[in-house]
Amino acid sequence: MNGGVLGWLRNLLAPPPLRPPGAKTESEFSALCIRCDRCLEVCPYGTLRPAGFGHGASVGTPLMIPAKMPCYLCMLCPPVCPTGALERNMDKRAVRIGIARVNTEACYAHMGVLCRTCIDQCPFPYEAIGQDSELHPVVTDKCVGCGICEKTCPAPEVAIRVEPRKERL
Amino acid sequence: MSSPSAARSRTGWTRWRQICQFSVALLYLAIPLVNRAGHHQVSGTLAALKIGPIELVEPAGALSAMLAGRHIAASLLIGIAPLVLLALIAGPVFCSWVCPWGLASELIDKARHRGSKYGWGANSWIAVRKLRAGSILLGFAISAVFALPLIALISPPRLLAALPIEAIALKMLPPTGVLLLALLAFELLGPRRVWCRALCPVGALTNFIRSPFTVRVAADPARCLCPSTALCYLQCHWGIDPRLAGRFDGCTNCMRCIEVCPSGAVEVTFALKANRQTRDRDRRQL
Repeated sequence: MNGGVLGWLRNLLAPPPLRPPGAKTESEFSALCIRCDRCLEVCPYGTLRPAGFGHGASVGTPLMIPAKMPCYLCMLCPPVCPTGALERNMDKRAVRIGIARVNTEACYAHMGVLCRTCIDQCPFPYEAIGQDSELHPVVTDKCVGCGICEKTCPAPEVAIRVEPRKERL
Repeated sequence: MSSPSAARSRTGWTRWRQICQFSVALLYLAIPLVNRAGHHQVSGTLAALKIGPIELVEPAGALSAMLAGRHIAASLLIGIAPLVLLALIAGPVFCSWVCPWGLASELIDKARHRGSKYGWGANSWIAVRKLRAGSILLGFAISAVFALPLIALISPPRLLAALPIEAIALKMLPPTGVLLLALLAFELLGPRRVWCRALCPVGALTNFIRSPFTVRVAADPARCLCPSTALCYLQCHWGIDPRLAGRFDGCTNCMRCIEVCPSGAVEVTFALKANRQTRDRDRRQL
């Protein structure tokens, strides 16, 4: 199933936003989401917000901005989705919202400071993010993209950010 | 002449209908607040409501999403079933008894025509026939071609019910609100209630979900004492003359005509006979 003309155009113009946990591929998601806002409603953290007109035809679909509020993986939203745009029974570890990427130039650990905030705050420490021999944070493929590291990173220029996963595009 | 007791039994439809409309509007204002407080037993908007384990999904948006996703989802079919059944039994009562945009449109229409002669032009239900069919076909065609559930996106009941949820999430005027303002301008400047009567894909689809036994209003020509332009037509919220309109001309069973008919000629019916009569009349009109 491809996303049709619109999906192709959108991917050409801008990368898709970070979607709620359990979201299918971007083209499937934006075709199936009927903007019923149930996921926004049940989200206890105010993580999910409706997309604005900047997202074109995806206006009104749920997205998250980890720097404002990350996903705490309470998994309340997948079961309430009526259309299957979100996979209903998601294991927390199987969530693939995005993947965190460390900006080595801004990261305290790379500057020689003993900072491991991202690892301590990660819901799956030493699974999704670990340390190398020089005590630098290393993100593995098990990262779910919840964005808690991005929210809590103490560096002035946030050194770890969640990016959309390529396999979701 | 009808007896006073018969007259009393005819009145009251509008009062019950408005109680129903305002209760629904209040319910959808309350749902986000209740969810905010941590109770998730009831969640959703008019696009999709979840009451405990029961799913209710608005049919036009669901069909639009299925066309866009090119996938027939069992959960969606189960979700739309109760509402399709309701439409098959009671007609498109969603528009006049439930939809908060229907309520808003009615109130705006009333305000807009305050002081002026309240009525409709000639045969206004015929003028919107093609628009209604066109709007729903275009909606589904765009959904399928662009893989975008357009009908779910623009459906006014969804927009209105989602407004409080999105306003809470964004803490500012959400995109839903902007779309609603555009719709409001349409309502204020366009022909009378043209969105509800013709362009709304949700209403258009419910209007076409009918069976021969669907509840509808029928006028008894033997008892009708009015001239060609009658109160039932002038006072209709939907611009439909119950004496002439066909089955698929957009009557939403708001029962206003029954209330205003001076001779009691307009009645509620779910009989096959009345439908046969209108079907024959439709053929003659065509």
